[in-house]
Amino acid sequence: MTDAMTEKKLSRRNFLKVGGLSAVGAAMGGAGFRAISLDEAQRLAQAPSVKYTYTADVMCPAECGLMVKVENGVASAIYGNPHVPYNAGTICSKGASGLQMVYNPNRIKYPMIRVGERGEGKFKRVSWDEAIAYIADKLTAIKKNYGPESVIMDTGDVTDKDTYWRLFLAFGTPNCTEHGAICDTPRRHGPRLLLGGKRIEPDIMRPVLLRQPDGTLKNDYSYRSKLIIYAGWNPFTATRINYESRGTVEAKLAGAKLIVIDPAFSNTAAKADQWIPIRPGTDPDLFAAVLRYILEHDNPSDPSRRYIDWSFKDKSVGWDEFETEFRSWWKKVDPINKLNYFTPEWAEQRTGIAAEKITELAHTYGITKPAALVWGMAGTGHHYNGYITSIIGMALNVITGNFDVPGGVIDTELVRSDKGGKATGKDFFKREVKRTVNGAEVVGEQEQLHMDLFGNWVAAWDDAVGDYPRRMLDGVTLQQGPFRGHTYPVKAYILRTGNSVITGSATWKWQEALTAKDKLGNYKVDLVAYIDTPFLESGLYADVVLPEASYMERMSLSDVYPSHPVIWLRDVVIEKQFESKTPFDIMIALAKALHKRGDPDIKPKDFWEKYKEEADFWTEALAVAPGKPNVGVPLPYPQYPAGYKIIGTPESLEAGRVKIDDEKKEIKGEPVTPQWLREHHGVAVWPMAYFRDPGILKTSSKKFEFQWDWTETKDNKTSRYGQYSKYNKLIEESGNVPPGIAKLGWKKYPPTFFWFETMWNSHTNPDYTQYQAKYPFQVISSRVHHSMSGTQMIDWLGHFPVEDLTMPINDEVAYDEILVGADPASRGRKRRIPANSWSIAVIQMSSADALQLGLKTGDLVELENPLGHKTRGKVNAVETIRPGVLRMPFGGGGRFSPGLGKNFYFKDVTPNANQLVDPAAISPIMGMPGYNDMLVKVTKV
Amino acid sequence: MATNEEKDALTKPDTPLSRRGFMGSFASATFAGLVAPTMLAEVNLAQAAPAGQAGNDLVPLPDVPEPVAGQAPVIRMMRDLRRALEKPMNQRRWIMVIDLRKCTGCMGCTIACVTENKLPPGIFYRPVFTETHGKFPNVSRRFIPRPCMQCDKPPCTSVCPVRATWKREDGITVIDYDKCIGCGYCITACPYSARSFDKGYFSSDFEGDGLQPYETLSAHEYGVDRVQSRDSSPVGNARKCHFCIHRIEKGLLPACTVSCMGRATFFGDGNDPKSLVSELIGKPNVMRLKNEMGTEPKVYYLE
Repeated sequence: MTDAMTEKKLSRRNFLKVGGLSAVGAAMGGAGFRAISLDEAQRLAQAPSVKYTYTADVMCPAECGLMVKVENGVASAIYGNPHVPYNAGTICSKGASGLQMVYNPNRIKYPMIRVGERGEGKFKRVSWDEAIAYIADKLTAIKKNYGPESVIMDTGDVTDKDTYWRLFLAFGTPNCTEHGAICDTPRRHGPRLLLGGKRIEPDIMRPVLLRQPDGTLKNDYSYRSKLIIYAGWNPFTATRINYESRGTVEAKLAGAKLIVIDPAFSNTAAKADQWIPIRPGTDPDLFAAVLRYILEHDNPSDPSRRYIDWSFKDKSVGWDEFETEFRSWWKKVDPINKLNYFTPEWAEQRTGIAAEKITELAHTYGITKPAALVWGMAGTGHHYNGYITSIIGMALNVITGNFDVPGGVIDTELVRSDKGGKATGKDFFKREVKRTVNGAEVVGEQEQLHMDLFGNWVAAWDDAVGDYPRRMLDGVTLQQGPFRGHTYPVKAYILRTGNSVITGSATWKWQEALTAKDKLGNYKVDLVAYIDTPFLESGLYADVVLPEASYMERMSLSDVYPSHPVIWLRDVVIEKQFESKTPFDIMIALAKALHKRGDPDIKPKDFWEKYKEEADFWTEALAVAPGKPNVGVPLPYPQYPAGYKIIGTPESLEAGRVKIDDEKKEIKGEPVTPQWLREHHGVAVWPMAYFRDPGILKTSSKKFEFQWDWTETKDNKTSRYGQYSKYNKLIEESGNVPPGIAKLGWKKYPPTFFWFETMWNSHTNPDYTQYQAKYPFQVISSRVHHSMSGTQMIDWLGHFPVEDLTMPINDEVAYDEILVGADPASRGRKRRIPANSWSIAVIQMSSADALQLGLKTGDLVELENPLGHKTRGKVNAVETIRPGVLRMPFGGGGRFSPGLGKNFYFKDVTPNANQLVDPAAISPIMGMPGYNDMLVKVTKV
Repeated sequence: MATNEEKDALTKPDTPLSRRGFMGSFASATFAGLVAPTMLAEVNLAQAAPAGQAGNDLVPLPDVPEPVAGQAPVIRMMRDLRRALEKPMNQRRWIMVIDLRKCTGCMGCTIACVTENKLPPGIFYRPVFTETHGKFPNVSRRFIPRPCMQCDKPPCTSVCPVRATWKREDGITVIDYDKCIGCGYCITACPYSARSFDKGYFSSDFEGDGLQPYETLSAHEYGVDRVQSRDSSPVGNARKCHFCIHRIEKGLLPACTVSCMGRATFFGDGNDPKSLVSELIGKPNVMRLKNEMGTEPKVYYLE
């Protein structure tokens, strides 16, 4: 538009202003404080500067590749980055609404120090220097009096944890943790035991970059899957893996059948050919019945019964032992239903799915190839015995020949790019430390002071955050390794972008732990620091609050579970808002403060001398990328030796600008750097391949392992193999059985297949049948877009009804506006939320159950569990859930931080599912809270 | 009531109405139809991007590897779009195809549209409706995105007393914010409820605190840079989806189409038999909303 036209346009508008005003004035009524005047608007509309920056999202842990429009220095619109094949230019409502997180009125604007009691939410505004000095003084004193291991660094999100971990590992604590511990550890267990992996996803990321017969690299958009089964997995609404939205529906149109197993009719189920509304907590039962059926009916000479691809045995160890142990259950009789284990009839009694449907499912899965069996977060990870689901699920994918085949399943953890390298500070784990234990000096490694791995949770390789409250209250006594017998208290809890009070197991237990005082009246946990962009409930319990720069104001790397190595840059899009600092800034500031106080472990050469600026840190973290072997079909780099590790930019590898090290079996091109990524649309993409096993397997034998602790003697040398072997060695040495497995009657981690029942399930576990009459409902929670702990304040999202879990059935609320800050008092502005205008967390209940209880949608009810804990919420009586099951959004209700925006004002009428979690029902191997194992009764309020 | 001919005349773009002329037409629609569409006082920006000038300001195509076979859907649609831009405007026929089998209900399009067009609180050009049917366990749910249907026979344009809204030659129904008086007739006339009234809200009216930084920026609807202010258009006007004309004319797909998580939304030239959208609507599973009303919508749904 020319200047002349602009002028004309504006003058015309001025002319029309008079006419427009009366209508507008009437429409606006008594609207809010600030609006733009016409003059201001005209000024602002002049010559906007526009640029686009490629970056990575953190609105949810999908971390999609983004392209952000920046006008006059303000982020104005968010698009998907079309060059990142993971999301291929797409973004969901949450990704698109990031502006309302970045510019949220309730962001933490400046550092604060608590002035009231913990939980009261009274703070004073302080400078960064004061806040950092406060933390550094406390840490220095705690380290001196109790040892650095008394400090927990919990980065909440996995995302961008590295700077914090580096600092605290250098400080001397091994107790650095992240979100994984309270995410879904049982779900990861099977892949870890069988493959050394973690995350099984269907082969539906499109495009994938494949080497062509003519040597070129091309994008393949074709779908090969014929069957996709999602058990307790809802990618459309939880959006953890972006490509599973378009991938699932496109694979379906390309001929795949979709089966969704879920107690609730999820949005993913809405697209399924078949929805199987299973009883919560019985996924292992269903999977076991499927495996038994397949083993009993497999017939290699009958094409209609050729379920198993027996060639898997050549690439495996321990199948016979696994099968023998599995079959040993077939003759046993279930104490509740008196049927033999794993038969379809037995599974029918437990799962509530008709036996013939179970056999049909088993047959369909066995006969249809390629197929993907995928189990999810809430359905597997949030149950006490979810390990069994993931172990059987993984075994099924391997024996049916669906692992890493086109259209089958991929362990994305094993094929994603490496990142982090030395920048993570993991070398500090190996640092030699000395402690006096029972009067004797003991030497060991820093890692051996870990409160979980050498304490009560030996196999909790992702830590046991759900059990932190107990340790905060009772302290730590190491049970394993050289320091066993060493005791220490938890004196500092540094929480960054997490919200343990709402999500880290039972809310009340966390509140108890963070506010417990010793005999002198001091808080047991001497220092609680909260570092984040939004102000969530855990911040109310902090002594110091630090504003962290949002994802658009900092750098780092993303590569969330693609089918092959792809890494994209999180880049600085806008200037830091308010007084926030980046994780890098905070690391350096705190490192300098500790160094100044004489901390011998914090060395300038490890921090500010090494990293002059933020990009230096990420340059080091990228140096290892992609770090994956040149294996599979088609071979990613046929010009280089197969099996060698690939490092460097795709460009340099393609052009042959590499060094080949035959000794290290490494092909090294030019290192990927943040600058290289910026110059290449923010992303590096290396080729995909299939049939990448055994090259990518991270098991001790480089084979599929169905055994997890065994010994082999070769050349007179006896070696021990299997994922459990190192833990069992510790237990044998110490004689201390971890309490989680002791509760199951185990002395060690089992060498192969195992079975135990979930807790708080009256249908499968005889210990709980007594509760069935009085507490007839099972409660589960699920994640939906805006019910996640940290994004509920987004106004745009708050209007959407989602999956019958967050629904606009609010009553009218009038309130005095409160904004987060040192003085969160009323600002004298009255606000009103009209009835039925805001989606609030509700209790999804079968309409048949509601009818029986005389309830209707909108009625307020109280849920009470057998432990006497309660929560309240409104009923949403619908057809979309299995009778006998109540579902709530995870972290969706009872939100009592004013940082939650409008949701704060509905805290008393929205349910907090985690008030009902049994903090003692922590899953026995990896210490994961059993969020979805609970029984309740319902009372109308 | 105006005759059909008169209605058509009213829907013709930008007759040279002065303020006085407008009053006249408001008073007597019959005469309004006789005003000749000549002597344009200014170029109407809702008609910008003259024919055959594609390639001048086009944003480059994404730099992604060649596909093994065919063309990647987004690249193909962008190429279709650019091919259409080469033609005179009156030979283009922009249509949208929404595959309901692929919409996953993420609502990404709704918000992508809000940020693209800097829509104020309360206005959504492209909501997604959810329908659930049946009794447990036989239930179904579908998601229905609802942009403006860009009807070939739009009931909304003829009711406009000031000729502030009309169907462009390429089939997109536009609103001239500077002419719109906010009477709301078109809002009532639209059988799809695709038009909303801009009440002039800012986020501070709902979220508290002051203006959000992104509210101080120009929107680019119809290729005009405007900052939303309480005392100027489009506040007090009717607003609706316009297929992101300002993007189309740069060779870009509408914001809803690029964001779509299920790749359920397609956009292109319905007059081009080689376009992806033409291919998609040549299938038996195609339908349109409220077809029986004779509005001839240009948004097609696949079931």
